[in-house]
Parts: sequence; structure tokens; C-alpha cells
Amino acid sequence: MMDLARHPELLDRLAAAYALGTLRGGARRRFEALARQSPAVRTAALLWQERFAALTELQWAQAPGPDVWKRIENIIAAQKQPAVERPQASGSSVRWWRGATFAGAVATVAAVAFSLNLLGEVDRRDEQLAQLGSARATLASQNAQLAAQLQAKPEIQYVAVLSDDRSAASMLVTFDPAHNTLTIKRVGGYQEAADKSLQLWALPPSGGPRSLGVLGENPVVKLTAAENQVREAPALAISLEPKGGVPTERGPTGPVLFKGALLKTS
Amino acid sequence: MKLPAGNETIGGFHAYSGRNPPSRTMPDPFQDQQLIALIDRIAARSAGGARQADGEAALRELYDLTSSRLYGVALRVVTNREWAEDVLQETYLNIWRIAGDYRASLSPPLAWMGVIVRSRALDFLRRRNSERADSALELNDAISETVAGDSPDPLDTSQASEQAWALHECLRKLEARQREVVSLAYLRDLSHSELAEQLKLPLGTVKTWIRRGIEQLRGCMARFA
Repeated sequence: MMDLARHPELLDRLAAAYALGTLRGGARRRFEALARQSPAVRTAALLWQERFAALTELQWAQAPGPDVWKRIENIIAAQKQPAVERPQASGSSVRWWRGATFAGAVATVAAVAFSLNLLGEVDRRDEQLAQLGSARATLASQNAQLAAQLQAKPEIQYVAVLSDDRSAASMLVTFDPAHNTLTIKRVGGYQEAADKSLQLWALPPSGGPRSLGVLGENPVVKLTAAENQVREAPALAISLEPKGGVPTERGPTGPVLFKGALLKTS
Repeated sequence: MKLPAGNETIGGFHAYSGRNPPSRTMPDPFQDQQLIALIDRIAARSAGGARQADGEAALRELYDLTSSRLYGVALRVVTNREWAEDVLQETYLNIWRIAGDYRASLSPPLAWMGVIVRSRALDFLRRRNSERADSALELNDAISETVAGDSPDPLDTSQASEQAWALHECLRKLEARQREVVSLAYLRDLSHSELAEQLKLPLGTVKTWIRRGIEQLRGCMARFA
């Protein structure tokens, strides 16, 4: 290979083009190979990298929107909380939902067990309704009420157990497409800070997460969702957001605390 | 080569270079000391306890002192306010995580932060381009307005490092369009042909401007070395 160190002008020119980024392809690879061998070449490249890096100091200052700092603050605050939130919060925040699809066998098993349980409850409910049905013969005045109850019977078709990164179940989510009702039950001890909200997201196979709603403070939360919002999502996730949540097009801004696969029960 | 006459834009872009050169002020070493002290306090937070709160306060101060400058860089690279804000967020979270590495870099603080914001911005564009193949940098008029329009704060080289001041002096000697092409090549990490496409210039013109720009900078920067 040519000894660039003996051609200072050429070396300087190549080093400048290398640092600027306009030296490309084979020429770039050859320069890099020379730099690994020769301290003089390395020095020239580093000097020019440093020089061009100063371009970042020469741009016009522009004021960012006021909520950028709030987002940074929220993420750092979430990272600090000891229990479930950990590094997934920030660096890869744009992509965190990718992993959610592979939420793991634990969640699947738990979800099946839970759905059986739920179906048992539905059965008991059926019995009660049946008893009411026998009463109907004698208590005609209850007909309207009964009809309403029959109609209100939940038809659970989707179940998800959302767990934290230690696979501890923390939220049970069921979806009743007949009534467009999502029911979220808190089962773990997690309690968000007073100035934060938990937000539920559908994670479709393509495109970003879509918000399904913000959880209130009650142990059981009901949200309205259309079946097509839920059906196409292989997984659900809950993120920690500023109080009141964030708009869906923005996507989650805080760390994802819980996630899990969405399973069809029938 | 005869350059097209007159206005300050190339392919819809205004550069800082297109306007009157900012006034010449020497770097302020006090400012650097202040920024370094803040970065050190952020790094020291891992000791825990009261240091954590102090680290957070330091990050806030650093943000207040530098965010508009870093946002300007992010905006220049990604050309969209919302994206630039995402980049800015990632940048300060990055600084929060790697503040402990600063001392080893030997760079002036703003230069170190400038490299971080450019990397995060280029990451953002790569990610976006890989997610949406059709989104090859859409450069529209809105951004030239964004970049040139509402900037009451002219370039203040008193905050810049010696190195930046030298580069600034040398860039001033280039013709506006050459300056612009060289700046964008670096900030957006663009090849000759990508520059030609984005700036709607013939490839030969871009190559000539880059070559001449580098030659003139070599001569000029050597005097500051």
C-alpha cells in the first residue's frame, strides 16, 4: 500500500474528505485500512473529525417546545422507581413495542388459566340468569330487567395478562367485542405517582402502538374499544405517561411497564 | 465555474452562512467551565443519595443553557420540528447516561454535545428510512422557514469552542453555496450524489464545490492549528 505519510498534501486532503463523509466506497475502506496501520494517518483523520464536528456549534439556536423537558424529566423519574421500571425506558423507547409480541410463555399460561376462571364465572352468571329465567314465569314484571341482564352478559373473547419485566402478572385485560368493552383489572401492587397516568396500547404487527385509553385509579377500569382496534393486535402494553396520557399519534413517551400477548379465547 | 447569481437558498435551504456573518466574538472560557461542572455533577449522581437530586438539577441547568443550540442542530439534520424534538429528548437522555465518559473525550463540552446530537439525529433518520422506505428526506419549504425564519438569536460564537471559532472564520471565506454544501455534507452525512439530489444541483457541481471547499478550508484551518 502507498505510504500516505510521505505525501502530506494528499493525506490531508483524504483525511478531510474522510471526516466530512464524502470519501466513500472503496476509497474510504482503503483510507481506513491505512489509518489502522499508520499513526500519522490516524492523527490527520482525527484532526479533521474534530474540525468538522465544530460545525454542530455553528448552527442557529432554536427554541424547542416546552414539553420536551417534561418528557425527559418523566423518563428519568420513571427510571428511578425501583420496582418494575428499568432501562428499556429510554434509549430504545421508539422501538420498545417490538419485543412485546414475543411476550413469553409465562404470560400465555397465566392468560389461559385466567380465561378458564373467567369462563367459570360466566357459567355461574348463566346459572343466576337461569334462575332469574325461572322466576320470569311468575314475575312477569321482571322481564324487562332480565332481558337487559341477558344482554349485558359479557362475552369475553380476548384475554391478556400484562406482566412486568420479571414476568409478574400485574394487569388482567379482557375484551368483550359484543359490548365493545375492555376491562382492565389491576392485580399487582403497582401504583403510579399522582402526577402520572397509565396508558393502554394496542401493538399492531405493523405501524406504531395505538392508544386504547388511559387507566383511572380504580382497581377495575372499563374502556370502550372497537373490535378491529383490538383484534389485529398480537399484544398489548401499558406505559407510564404524564397525567391524562398522551395523544395516540404521539405514541408512548414514557417507559413501558407491563406487556403481554393478546389471546383469543374461542 | 460561474455560480448562479444571487439569493441565499439552495434547494429550498437557508444556511446560517447565507445571511450576514454573525458578529465576531471570542470564545468564553468561563462558559466552558460552567458546562463541564454541570456534566461532572450529572456523572456524579451514580453515587446515589443527595447526588441523584443534584444530578437531576444539573441536567436541568445544562438543558436550559444548551437545548436551543442542540435543537438547532437537530432541526438542521432532520428538518422537522417534531422529529427534532424526539432527537433532542434522546440526546439529553444520552447525555444523562454517558456524562461519565465526557472527561475522557478531551473535547470542549459543546463540541461533545454537538457530536451526540448529530449522532442521535442521524440514527433517527436511518431508523425512519428503514421503517418507511418512501420517506427519503422530504425537504420542503416549511423547513427553510423553520431554519431561517424565527431565529431572533443570531449565531453567538462567544459560546463556541476555539475550534468552532476557527472553523467559523474559515467558512466565512467560502462562497455561501460552497459553505452550505460542505455544512450539509457533514451534518447530514450525505454523499456527493445524495447532496446533488437533495439540493437539486448537478452532481459535477457538487463535487467541484466540495473539492474547492475542502481545499480552501485546508489552507485556512492550517493557520489556526
